[in-house]
Amino acid sequence: MTNLAVQFEGVSKEYPHFKLDDINLILPEGGIMGFIGANGAGKSTTIRILMGLVHQDRGTVRVLGHPMPAEQAAAKLDIGFASEDMRLYKGATLRWHMEFIRSIYPAWDPAYADQLLKRFDLRAEQKVKGLSHGQRVKAALLLILARRPRLLVLDEPTTGLDPVARQEVLGQLMEVLADEDRTIFFSSQNTLDVEQISDQITFIDRGRIVDSGDKESFLERWRRVRLDVPPGVVLPALPGTVAAAGSGRLSVITTSSYDPAMTAAYRDAGATVHAVDTMTLEEIFVAEVLSRREGKVA
Amino acid sequence: MNYPMVKRLILKDWYFLRWAILAYSATGLLAIGLTAMGTDASSYAGSILLITVMIAIGFHLVMVTVVGERSEHTLPFIMSLPISPMEYTTAKIGANLLIFLVPWLTLTTGTVLLLGTEGARSGALIPFTLIILTELLTAYVLVLTVAIVTESQGWTIGVLVLTNLFFQGFLYWVSHLPAIARGMKGRGAVWDQTAVTLLAAEVGISILLIVMAFVLQARKKHFL
Repeated sequence: MTNLAVQFEGVSKEYPHFKLDDINLILPEGGIMGFIGANGAGKSTTIRILMGLVHQDRGTVRVLGHPMPAEQAAAKLDIGFASEDMRLYKGATLRWHMEFIRSIYPAWDPAYADQLLKRFDLRAEQKVKGLSHGQRVKAALLLILARRPRLLVLDEPTTGLDPVARQEVLGQLMEVLADEDRTIFFSSQNTLDVEQISDQITFIDRGRIVDSGDKESFLERWRRVRLDVPPGVVLPALPGTVAAAGSGRLSVITTSSYDPAMTAAYRDAGATVHAVDTMTLEEIFVAEVLSRREGKVA
Repeated sequence: MNYPMVKRLILKDWYFLRWAILAYSATGLLAIGLTAMGTDASSYAGSILLITVMIAIGFHLVMVTVVGERSEHTLPFIMSLPISPMEYTTAKIGANLLIFLVPWLTLTTGTVLLLGTEGARSGALIPFTLIILTELLTAYVLVLTVAIVTESQGWTIGVLVLTNLFFQGFLYWVSHLPAIARGMKGRGAVWDQTAVTLLAAEVGISILLIVMAFVLQARKKHFL
């Protein structure tokens, strides 16, 4: 049986103007989950509950076998957490931070830390206040990667980075994936980032999980079918259709459960299939969220 | 309770404030030196400087170690470490009390020794001085508790302003209490019931505030 790094069961949290509702989520050890949602969708709240820093109103959370928030201190010994709003101490050098973390985590790997310093082009003696935003993100990642955590929790770590810095950060994360014991929970608004490194995808919108599964199945299931529909032809209502758009004879059907039999059904109805296009994760995310908001079941 | 982790966090705050502690302690000693010069003007200037230093230490400590942790966004970094919120609270209270008490005890001891060695007339001021300096400690603990519980710059500054206003009234009120006023005019320190009660109340309120900080933190459900 696969060990679960993260397990949410029926987790809810209510605020005056926002509700995280019935979150069920599992991430097996060794998995990399991309957690995608728009601003205010509930990504950070979910992650804070995962870290034990916000207490859920209902439901249970287990992280690396520890019930949260009760055993958060023990769980956090094996978690490396970085968030977009996390800052290091401006008046201290990166070296001071490295020594501070080293004194806390027995698994700190000094050789790996030095390797990361070079790779990220950072100087340990530089004070944090002199670092650019990209350097600060890399410094924070260095501090969590060199402690060799079993679980990496990254809350929008690439937000605000320029494209070059973003690629560097993602490249380093890809390297970390080589370690099979490492599990990553990665939240982002940027679907391109998530698409690069994740093997599982979860979409969240307005406090609810709208879909979750492995990345390949998402990319396989979702298609856009471009059709020529002569006047008088009525397209059959096929299961999985989440959107139908077009003008005149041209029609574009978006489906979340593509099957080659669909095209045959459209042809049988009298339409001409021009193309069956794959969709990017971003297109899938937008289609999924919009269809849910419009009340269509994908 | 993970005491090694709590100790590391206390040492971390101590490290970041080491120069400030030194500067405040030096300024406090200068205040005692002024008082020791013996003239009315220097004694007055020394007293004002001493009180100012005490208030400034408290304000600086709370704003940097508690409120600053949130406003500078270093709180997520600290809370990502293997600690529980109660351990964080223990570390913050421990660091603040330790750092505040070092200069407070130094300056209070220095002031009491100075008054004790200046002669019987000055010795009579010891109870009043201790009551006033302990009020500053209690006010500091109140500001610290508010800062820890609310993590709000606005609330902290508001309470700080109120405690300073209260201090002015307290100074006037205590100095006009018949028992205290009589004692100050006497020869040598007089520890009557009024003086002992006031001092005990200040210490008691300080302890109660610290307990309240822990109780309120334990009820919190959001730490970021």
